Amino acid sequence: MSYLDLDHLNKAFDGAIAVNNLSLHVEKGEFVSLLGPSGCGKTTTLRMIAGFETPDSGSIHLAGEEITSVPPNRRGMGMVFQSYALFPNMTAWGNVAFGLRVAQKSQKDIKQRVNQLLDLVGLSNAGHKYTNELSGGQQQRVALARALAIEPRVLLLDEPLSALDAVVRVSLRHEIRRIQTALGITTIYVTHDQEEALSISDRVVVMRQAMIEQVGTPEEIYTQPDTHFVATFVGTSNQFPGILKDARSGLVTSVNGDWQISIPPIMDDHMQNGDALIVIVRPEEIRVSQAEIVIEEDNVITAVLETITLLGPVTRLSLSLPGQLIIADIKTVDRGRFVCGTSVQLSFPRRACRVMPGGDITNGDDN
Amino acid sequence: MAAMNKRTAVPGFAIGCFLFYMLLPIVATYAFSVATRWDRSILPEGLTLDWYKAAFTDQWFIIVFKNSLVLSISTVIASILLIVPTAYWVHLRVPKARPLLDLISTLPFAIPGVVLALGLIRLYARPPLMLARTPVMLVAAYVIFTMPFMYRPVANSLEAVNIRVLTEAAQSLGASWGRTLRQIILPNILPGILSGGLLVFATIFGEFTIATFLVGARYKTFPMQLVYFTRRDGRIASAYSVISFTIAWTTSLVILWIAAWGAKRTSGGGKHPTKGHTTGVVGD
Ligand SMILES: Nc1ncnc2c1ncn2[C@@H]1O[C@H](COP(=O)(O)OP(=O)(O)OP(=O)(O)O)[C@@H](O)[C@H]1O
Ligand SMILES: [Mg+2]
Repeated sequence: MSYLDLDHLNKAFDGAIAVNNLSLHVEKGEFVSLLGPSGCGKTTTLRMIAGFETPDSGSIHLAGEEITSVPPNRRGMGMVFQSYALFPNMTAWGNVAFGLRVAQKSQKDIKQRVNQLLDLVGLSNAGHKYTNELSGGQQQRVALARALAIEPRVLLLDEPLSALDAVVRVSLRHEIRRIQTALGITTIYVTHDQEEALSISDRVVVMRQAMIEQVGTPEEIYTQPDTHFVATFVGTSNQFPGILKDARSGLVTSVNGDWQISIPPIMDDHMQNGDALIVIVRPEEIRVSQAEIVIEEDNVITAVLETITLLGPVTRLSLSLPGQLIIADIKTVDRGRFVCGTSVQLSFPRRACRVMPGGDITNGDDN
Repeated sequence: MAAMNKRTAVPGFAIGCFLFYMLLPIVATYAFSVATRWDRSILPEGLTLDWYKAAFTDQWFIIVFKNSLVLSISTVIASILLIVPTAYWVHLRVPKARPLLDLISTLPFAIPGVVLALGLIRLYARPPLMLARTPVMLVAAYVIFTMPFMYRPVANSLEAVNIRVLTEAAQSLGASWGRTLRQIILPNILPGILSGGLLVFATIFGEFTIATFLVGARYKTFPMQLVYFTRRDGRIASAYSVISFTIAWTTSLVILWIAAWGAKRTSGGGKHPTKGHTTGVVGD
């Protein structure tokens, strides 16, 4: 049993399933992100934890105690909303103090704690300001301080940064993580931004169509995606649909024989020779070289260079194989003298290949 | 230039006619209430405050003024108690029912006052209510009659602030329903409640038809006394009318002022009363 246990949660709205048999176990002090496309049930899950929605079935336990039907005002969960939800009739100071007043703390304690929290979020000089006198980023800091003031048992954040501009978003997410680490507070963070989820979480829960697709550390999610959906939703992936020729030696060929790829040998028998599968390779694993150079690598494929896009430190090359496009990210400093329309060689090691069953070649565009 | 003048002249003339049509009776009433005699000449023969004196010293004046005040204030209170929580609950929990509530709240406009009054008499005359022809029943009728005036501004305020997410924020901080309503919801929809309350007040203070039908002379109101004087002495009736207008206009001005204040509160630029760190809940 963990600190926060969600067991077999189900929730439907007017017959439409929003959360389907979801189980998740969160340790004390952990930072867990729920990541997934729009409508996959992230908010509904978070709202069930907060108590704003009651699950149709399943249970929620916090520190061993069942809280499935405890009303939200007795759960002690701090909540931060996408729309800030500050009380417009109170100052920043009053907002942070609200939960402490409800808890009937002494004036002295309230004063001390509110000042301490405003300090923590870097707003010690803005306590007297009303909501409409604060920027979006400042409002969300106040909202964070307000949620933390009550020393919540779990901190819940629902896309707290998505209404902010890119620069503020990045700096504030690091700040949230810093504060979370400093206070050691158990945190559930909802986002549809994979970069955000990967950069601040201890564990990421990838959701799709009301279900959990994969749970893992950011590194596991990125480098060892369990499913085709995770591989394509988190980060960019190249997909080589092919047929397994030899499981023992790890040989895959394309359907019409244009290329062949060596993959790590498949030792168990969840896939057999002749099965359709998809080989997935991250763009940054692919090296691109001039056609005339001789390359020693597990996999070498010839392709035509279509476009070159400078993205900053990396440059994205788009390359065509018969019937498909491949993306390779190379360091901008290695851009060399590539010319669009010429033949080049792609190479990547077999350890860079992940294999997914390819029966139904659905792609990850649920949104 | 000439074309421009023509184009602005026509609406200008229309607006002029409209204002003349609207203002003439009011100006005439004001003038009549301070005129000595005005039946033999185009302009009044002299000015006097005698009719106001007569109005104020009439033995009924205090009573009807007090009765109308009691009715208006009771209606405002009953209306707030009934409509504000209902509107809040519907906006929070059953947003799908909002169009229905919008429709119901405009029904009193569609039913003539007389029909409403007769229907209510039949309903309230039966056990267990037995309230027919009492001021309590009149207040009940008035709450229905003025529902659009209360509901609309309150509903607008509820839509202007995101009450659902504010409610949830308050609850996640441990607040009970009562506390959430008192300290979060009410302060934020106060402009709507005040506007609605003043509209209801002004409407009821001048209401004649339903009061006459439902309670009649048992509970004389200000407008009833006004009508009584139109039969006896038009000049005293004019003085009554002017008093009535003044009350209505003062409330209208206060409503406009509150609307401006509410708009400023929700859209930035609000002042903060104190700069100290102890500024907390406004009005707790
Ligand atoms: N109160 C509600 N009434 C009806 N349907 C709802 C309600 N709340 C959520 N849903 C539905 O449940 C599904 C999951 O919604 P949810 O808000 O949990 O998704 P989400 O992952 O948070 O998406 P987003 O990234 O867009 O916020 C959606 O299909 C949504 O339409
Ligand atoms: Mg959501």
